[in-house]
Amino acid sequence: MKKIKTLEELKKLAAELRKKAKTSRKTISICNGTGCLALGAAAVTKAMKSEIKKRKLDVSVVAITETGCHGFCERGPLMVIRPRNIFYHNVKPEDVPEIVETTVIKGRVIDRLLYEHPHTKEKITKADDVPFYKLQTRLVFGSNEHIDPTNIDDYIRIGGYSALPKALKMGPPGIIENVSKAGLRGRGGGGFPTGRKWQGAARADGDIKYVICNADEGDPGAYMDRSISEGNPHSVIEGMIIGAYAIGANRGYIYVRQEYPLAVENYSKAIRAARKYGFLGKNIFKSGFDFDIEISRGGGAFVAGESSALFASIEGRAAVPRPKHIHATDKGLWDKPTVLNNVETWANIPIIINKGADWFASIGTEKSKGTKIFSLVGKVNNTGLVEVPMGVTLREIIYDIGGGIKNGKKFKGVQTGGPSGGVIPEKLLDLPVDFDSLSDAGSMMGSGGMIVFDEDNCMVDIAKYFTGFLKDESCGQCTPCREGLAQMFEVLNDITEGRGTEKHLEMLEELCWGIAETSLCQLGASAPNPVLSTLRYFKDEYEAHIKEKRCPAGVCKSLVTYEIDAEKCTGCTICARKCPVGAISGEAKKPHNIDTSKCTKCGICYDVCKFDAVVRK
Amino acid sequence: MQTKDRVGVFVCHCGHNIAGSVDIKTVVEAVKKIPGVAFVTDYRYMCSTPGQELVANSITEYKLTGVVMANCSPNLHERTFRNLAAKVGLNPYLLEVANIREHCSWPHWHQPEKATHKAITIIKTIVARVKQDAALYPIHSGITKRAVVIGGGIAGIQCALDIADAGYDVHVVEKSPSIGGKMVQLSETFPTLDCPQCILTPKMTDLANHGNITLHTHSEVGEVEGYVGNFNVKIVEKPRYVDMEKCTGCGDCMTNCPVHYQPAIQPKPKYSKYIDKEIIAEIEPIVSPFTGDSSAVVQVLLDINSIYNYLPEDALKFVSEKLDVPLSRVYQVASFYTAFSLTPRGRHIVKVCMGTACHAKGAPRVLDEIERRIGIRAGETSKDMRYSLETVNCLGCCALGPVVTIDETYYHADPQDVGQMFDKFEEDEK
Repeated sequence: MKKIKTLEELKKLAAELRKKAKTSRKTISICNGTGCLALGAAAVTKAMKSEIKKRKLDVSVVAITETGCHGFCERGPLMVIRPRNIFYHNVKPEDVPEIVETTVIKGRVIDRLLYEHPHTKEKITKADDVPFYKLQTRLVFGSNEHIDPTNIDDYIRIGGYSALPKALKMGPPGIIENVSKAGLRGRGGGGFPTGRKWQGAARADGDIKYVICNADEGDPGAYMDRSISEGNPHSVIEGMIIGAYAIGANRGYIYVRQEYPLAVENYSKAIRAARKYGFLGKNIFKSGFDFDIEISRGGGAFVAGESSALFASIEGRAAVPRPKHIHATDKGLWDKPTVLNNVETWANIPIIINKGADWFASIGTEKSKGTKIFSLVGKVNNTGLVEVPMGVTLREIIYDIGGGIKNGKKFKGVQTGGPSGGVIPEKLLDLPVDFDSLSDAGSMMGSGGMIVFDEDNCMVDIAKYFTGFLKDESCGQCTPCREGLAQMFEVLNDITEGRGTEKHLEMLEELCWGIAETSLCQLGASAPNPVLSTLRYFKDEYEAHIKEKRCPAGVCKSLVTYEIDAEKCTGCTICARKCPVGAISGEAKKPHNIDTSKCTKCGICYDVCKFDAVVRK
Repeated sequence: MQTKDRVGVFVCHCGHNIAGSVDIKTVVEAVKKIPGVAFVTDYRYMCSTPGQELVANSITEYKLTGVVMANCSPNLHERTFRNLAAKVGLNPYLLEVANIREHCSWPHWHQPEKATHKAITIIKTIVARVKQDAALYPIHSGITKRAVVIGGGIAGIQCALDIADAGYDVHVVEKSPSIGGKMVQLSETFPTLDCPQCILTPKMTDLANHGNITLHTHSEVGEVEGYVGNFNVKIVEKPRYVDMEKCTGCGDCMTNCPVHYQPAIQPKPKYSKYIDKEIIAEIEPIVSPFTGDSSAVVQVLLDINSIYNYLPEDALKFVSEKLDVPLSRVYQVASFYTAFSLTPRGRHIVKVCMGTACHAKGAPRVLDEIERRIGIRAGETSKDMRYSLETVNCLGCCALGPVVTIDETYYHADPQDVGQMFDKFEEDEK
């Protein structure tokens, strides 16, 4: 592999690659993201490879691309057949021979595998016409389905690494000016203006500086960073090289959690490939600029997402934060000026350089520019990754893209911002999603988790869940967070187990204030948000637990009993067969009965009953 | 020593407490046969007024030269009976207690024969002791209320301050030129993580300025003689070549001195000779490239963890030595991150995602079902080492929740399908 030294050489290579790609008439892109893999994508890929081998079809007829996540995880395994962009979902290995025979060879569409519009019942052939995709603006995430993440040539073919020589020509002040003008704000959660952060690091004294990519993604319920890392690692690396040049850093780290082994592998491959082309290493694009990246794996600690804790982890210590009276841009990793940005932020940089700051700034709202990827999950019909311009309303995301609530249930709330964020109720569904409006609503943007709750979710239980999560993840260094969260968990536990009193609510509010005001780092300072936001919007649920000793959603086990309605029960015996503890008895075709002394309240009978005869009280 | 022993033994029933398991009659009969025993009797409550009268009268009547009270612990009634003995003219130190309740009837409540035998043995022992007892008389002597504290570390400093605050004279003797000891060498203190200097320096100044304390630095205790209340201590002050009257503590002499001593550094412990050779052979290729690189601790431990599924203690010691990182810090890292386990884990690792999306869709119920199915709770390993069950914060597959992984494979898990999932896994395993 020859090292590429000029923009012209790069353009020539990209043109060659595009020409070569056209030689095969059809491309089958199979999603191998984690969601699709869990649903059997590996078997589909294997079947496709052997089918093509069996039929002796060579690359001039068809090529397979094993891509990263396409986003529509709910419907996986996903397959897109180009050039016609035919979109198949829920593909099974046994469908593969038919797909090759009918679609690849004869060019006809298989109706059965097409997406059906939920309302019009019309079959949709093209991926771009599926409502889930159609309403998105996929700037950062869109390339995923076109490239094999382990093949750098695929990235170059679609214009990858072309921003780098342009940026090198701009010079550091030019890059920073562009990023500032574009109005890019950190996608990791805080929303700090990226340009200002880079400016600070560029001005800081010191010969040694670092850039770091935070791919730790500790937020439970968010996986967009994983999907970019696994599906398009070069976009992150290109962004980091540009950022490093802008602040004068010669060394970079990608901090990936070890729970994402494929991300570690794909970043490693990408770094090696980038070195071979000379995008990393000495004298990049003959600019005299040297830069290289190393991977640092995290051992699994939510607090490691906090910048100073992340530095400690890279330095080989326990991920414990330090007081932040000095900015990381002055003294970060090894006490050197450091820029730490999140995966999605880095992946936005090549786009800004290529398309220009003004173009980027035209997308989004006044103070939040560009797009944001959300992990739309929970009780929504179309779960998956969604990239939308800033300023789109929650309603559009949940109802138009997400297809509304599963099984026709009633929407209750949507949680954004992970454990540091809050729950937003139905009355605020028309809120435009950007950094500031979410903060005003008592939540935050966070890294982009968007978990939808329906009437079957108990908000006190959710508050308890987050508090329990943070209690376990508190590093234990400062007392308000360590002891305060444990105490808050106890109070919430009392409420969910029916021991709550009016005093408990007062105590909760006082604890929230104390923890938020006196904790050392942001983990503690934002930890009360889930409790505060549920108290603010769902106080009636707290009161039902306390005054009536009742869990309206039927989640809190201590406050719930299961009974069989003898009139509705047909005696089908399914509940008795499914009950894991043998608490249900009764003869076939006669009403059954639940022995409450044996019942563990697992709720399986409630789920399996087809006649609504199991009643939860 | 008495020339002719006349020992009286008083066996107490303590209501049911002793008599419940110890057969009093047998004891009385056996005790009668002990040489030197002139009188034996038993009574329901020896500490009651009639009981006490019985003891007092018997001492006089039978001219006893020694008394054994076989009853409860001496903590309770030794004083009662010794005072009683003194009243009737027997030197109180000739009365001893044989504890046949706390040491005998209670612990052997369900073995009455053994308890009875033990009671006899205890009484025999105490009778033998009483026969050796000499009459004792209390004396009075003047004492000097002044203390010497040896060593000026944190314990010595606090001790000296407490005694001095109580109003007594204290002399503190410290070997080195300054008080403060080992604590000043620490970086943080448990559990507040305060810096030790912050705690120590106010106490050091307090000690130096305290009116009741005389500080002897650069000094050692030469010899100690005397007894409780009346010690003589010789303090040897080492030559310091400084006139303490004139010294202002400016410290210029230290900076200008041509000779400097480095503080003694403790030798690093050598673990490798005690470490399992097999473990060294396996992990050396991982550890060696990072010799002396303390920043590699997390990365090296991750790799070792992936070999064994946990971190053997020997591996931690080897890492500590090779990477030149204190073992305490290696342990801190190993116990901090969730990826590491310090105990062996099963062949298959089942992880149940507890992320928000999975929680909302019923992950706690999935966990309940899995716990029931494989018979272990989260955080445990099955006895046959087949499974370890763990909960994780997020498996990053949120769209499909609830999600479970067995080893590296992802499963979408409904609570009612958990059984099928494991059936299938166990079939595939075969």
